[in-house]
Amino acid sequence: MKSIPIDVKMGVDYLLEEQNILEVKDLSVNYISREEKVKAVDKISLNIKKGENLGIIGESGCGKSSLALAIMNLITGGEVTGNVFYKNTDLLKLSEQKLKKFRWQEIAIVFQNSLNVLNPVLTIKEQISEPIKTHHNFSKEQIARKVTELMELVGLDTRWEESYPHQLSGGMRQRVLIAMALTCNPKLLIVDEPTASLDRESKTQIINLLNYLKKKYKFTMLVISHNMKTIKQLTSRLITMYKGRFVEIGLTEEVIKNPEHCYTRGLLNSSPELFPYKDLWGIKGSAEEDTDKGCAFYSRCPQSNQNCQDKKPELAYVGVERMVACNQGGIITFLDARDINKTYKLENGNYLQAVKNTGIQVRSGEVVALVGKSGSGKSTLARVLVNALKPESGEIYFLGEKNENERATKMIGGMQIVFQDPFTATSDRLSVLEVVTEPLDIIKWNTPALRKEKAILLLQEVQLPTTSSFLNRSCQNLSGGQRQRVAIARSLVTDPKLLIADEITSMLDPSVQANIIRKLKELQINKGFSMLYITHNIDLAKKIADKVYVMQDGEIIQKGSSSEVFHERGYNYVSERTESGIRSFGGSK
Amino acid sequence: MNIFLKFIRYISAFSLMGKISTFIIIFMIIIAVFAPLVSPYPPDKSSGPALSPPGSKHIMGTDDLGYDIWSQIAHGARVSLIIGIGTALLASFGGGIVGIIAGYKGGLLDKTIMRIIDIMIVLPDLPLIIILAAFLGPSLVNIIFVLTIFSWIRPARIVRSQILMLKEMDYINSAKTYGAGVMYLLKKHFLPEIFPIIAVNMIRLSSRAIVSEAGLSFLGLGDPASKSWGRIIHYATNFRGIYYTPFWKWWLLYPWLTLIILVLALAFLSQELEKVYSLRK
Repeated sequence: MKSIPIDVKMGVDYLLEEQNILEVKDLSVNYISREEKVKAVDKISLNIKKGENLGIIGESGCGKSSLALAIMNLITGGEVTGNVFYKNTDLLKLSEQKLKKFRWQEIAIVFQNSLNVLNPVLTIKEQISEPIKTHHNFSKEQIARKVTELMELVGLDTRWEESYPHQLSGGMRQRVLIAMALTCNPKLLIVDEPTASLDRESKTQIINLLNYLKKKYKFTMLVISHNMKTIKQLTSRLITMYKGRFVEIGLTEEVIKNPEHCYTRGLLNSSPELFPYKDLWGIKGSAEEDTDKGCAFYSRCPQSNQNCQDKKPELAYVGVERMVACNQGGIITFLDARDINKTYKLENGNYLQAVKNTGIQVRSGEVVALVGKSGSGKSTLARVLVNALKPESGEIYFLGEKNENERATKMIGGMQIVFQDPFTATSDRLSVLEVVTEPLDIIKWNTPALRKEKAILLLQEVQLPTTSSFLNRSCQNLSGGQRQRVAIARSLVTDPKLLIADEITSMLDPSVQANIIRKLKELQINKGFSMLYITHNIDLAKKIADKVYVMQDGEIIQKGSSSEVFHERGYNYVSERTESGIRSFGGSK
Repeated sequence: MNIFLKFIRYISAFSLMGKISTFIIIFMIIIAVFAPLVSPYPPDKSSGPALSPPGSKHIMGTDDLGYDIWSQIAHGARVSLIIGIGTALLASFGGGIVGIIAGYKGGLLDKTIMRIIDIMIVLPDLPLIIILAAFLGPSLVNIIFVLTIFSWIRPARIVRSQILMLKEMDYINSAKTYGAGVMYLLKKHFLPEIFPIIAVNMIRLSSRAIVSEAGLSFLGLGDPASKSWGRIIHYATNFRGIYYTPFWKWWLLYPWLTLIILVLALAFLSQELEKVYSLRK
């Protein structure tokens, strides 16, 4: 693998000195236990520039801590290959004696906070003075002064000097660890999970402390964490690691806003810090046994195909400052609609422009919520997307190809729509089975027997009975919730990659709504389809959306990830506009 | 057998009136089909003394030429029913097709068709029927044709409005997104939906056609070769001073009564079907 060029503009101090402080080349770490060889770090190349704040995220066991330890040449019980150049010195080739000069003084590590990192029989003072003693020839008074200085620096009251580690809180211990790392003014600080197992307030304090120290001492920082908030506030560049490899590299803010690798997105989606309202869903499955063939993320990826099983993806640029290791170039765009215009001619001769120059993108595996009050043009847009209405202008691309003549909706693995009203979306007269198999009947998919089999499978998935009496029951004898589920089963029978759900639960009671939403979300996680969820219910959108488009009077007035729109800048804006809109329309649904 | 059972089950949902009407109509059809068997005399030959009152020999009496009235009614049922059913079928299907095209295609075609229908509605139909019947000459086919011309409007309008409504249904929209063509939609969705309404309408049309035919025959514009009920009434009323004689009690009363009973039965049946259909909805 090639070394990764880094050209992140970090700030003024960084601009002055543009050299790499650390260059990692083809670094591999293998742990050998019995006859098994576990690849913790797999041929990684990485350049860290001076003054940069770099973050590494990944699930437990992805190799982030091994990478940190390997940089410090602290790996025991494993074989390490490759090079780690610190200012042109290969740390991996140095003897223990020579390494001492670099450890603590040049590169320091703040270990993951736990009770056993600190020696339980040493007081805090002794603890902090230990590295000072080994690296400086200080007198006792000098040491004592330095310790006090450091403790004040990290915001630790000096009265704790004589305490033992177990008497300190987690936040305090973290401060002790930081103080120890700073004893020799290192140029590169590696911070491993600085905020793990801390409460919210201590977390914020530690983050602020690190940012303050960073500004004061201008060290370069490598932060390893699985806490997105920590990463977001401490770093400017972010690497996602999976099974010992880098899968995505980019600017922290951009990556969090718009992840390009399914794994990164999965991590972000599992973070309550980023999505305080949304239901949390982890990445399905777990990291499996390593195979040299194919993409490591293959089995868990919602968009994997045959090619991914055989071909190992390489890191490649997919945009400015963004690299992704994915055979499909990152998350695929399923739907791309541009400049849609749709005008209705009213009875009185006037024109109503329902959709104005609107575009919408849906990528693989995401739930995009299109919110807006009634009459804002949401349903019109949905109908235009599936060719049920003809727009005056605009282009709709599905998987890169223009959607014309129902191309996307009449294929297996295409795009499907579920309409708002279950009573008009299914025919009163037809039986449940006839309704569900209808798409397959129309496209003449396989034999009728196989169609029936498939329909039964889908009915099971949406938790409807599959007895022959139910299958032959005509839809007029079903309840609204059942009919909506029949409609959902019908839309899923062609295994769509994208499901457009137009207010599908607005006619249903809250309990049925909850069940249907959870069912859809579950199906989405298992089958890996994307959803364009159209609703005027902000609360519901908060629960399920990864991305949000806010529509008003036919225009998209706001778009972004749901954490952005709901949580950070736009929340009040959205809620005010949309909810008051709903109120003024008198809609209770 | 299966269809028969279904039919029985369907009928059993009717009210008493509906059941009686159905029975009467079936009875009339049987009489019409088996007319030569159920009538003891030929309808167009003298079979006894003229103007004899109902008795054991002639259960409904005879007319001025000694023709058996019952035989005439039984044979006349054929003409009445053929005209009724023929007109109803032709008008319903013709009107239905026009309605489907107007409703589904919309636009200019729809507008044109609707304007034609508007014109047809404001035309007074009975005078025109009489003129046309007189102009085309009396024959069974001509009568059916003339009656159809003035009967297709109602089914066309009903079907059009149904299609307009169905067209907006989301299940039609979904079917279209799956790539369904017009033929599929017609077969699977439109026709099954509009058929019950057409059926109700057909019964109404047939009763109207039967009365119109009777009217035309009464005026002497019917087919002189066919012995329809209207024709019997026509001859009876043309008998000078029939109301001063007791002859009207059978010569006029019986055909008039059968006509009334059939039309009433059809009216009740259509009402019944409408009720059952809307209940199922």
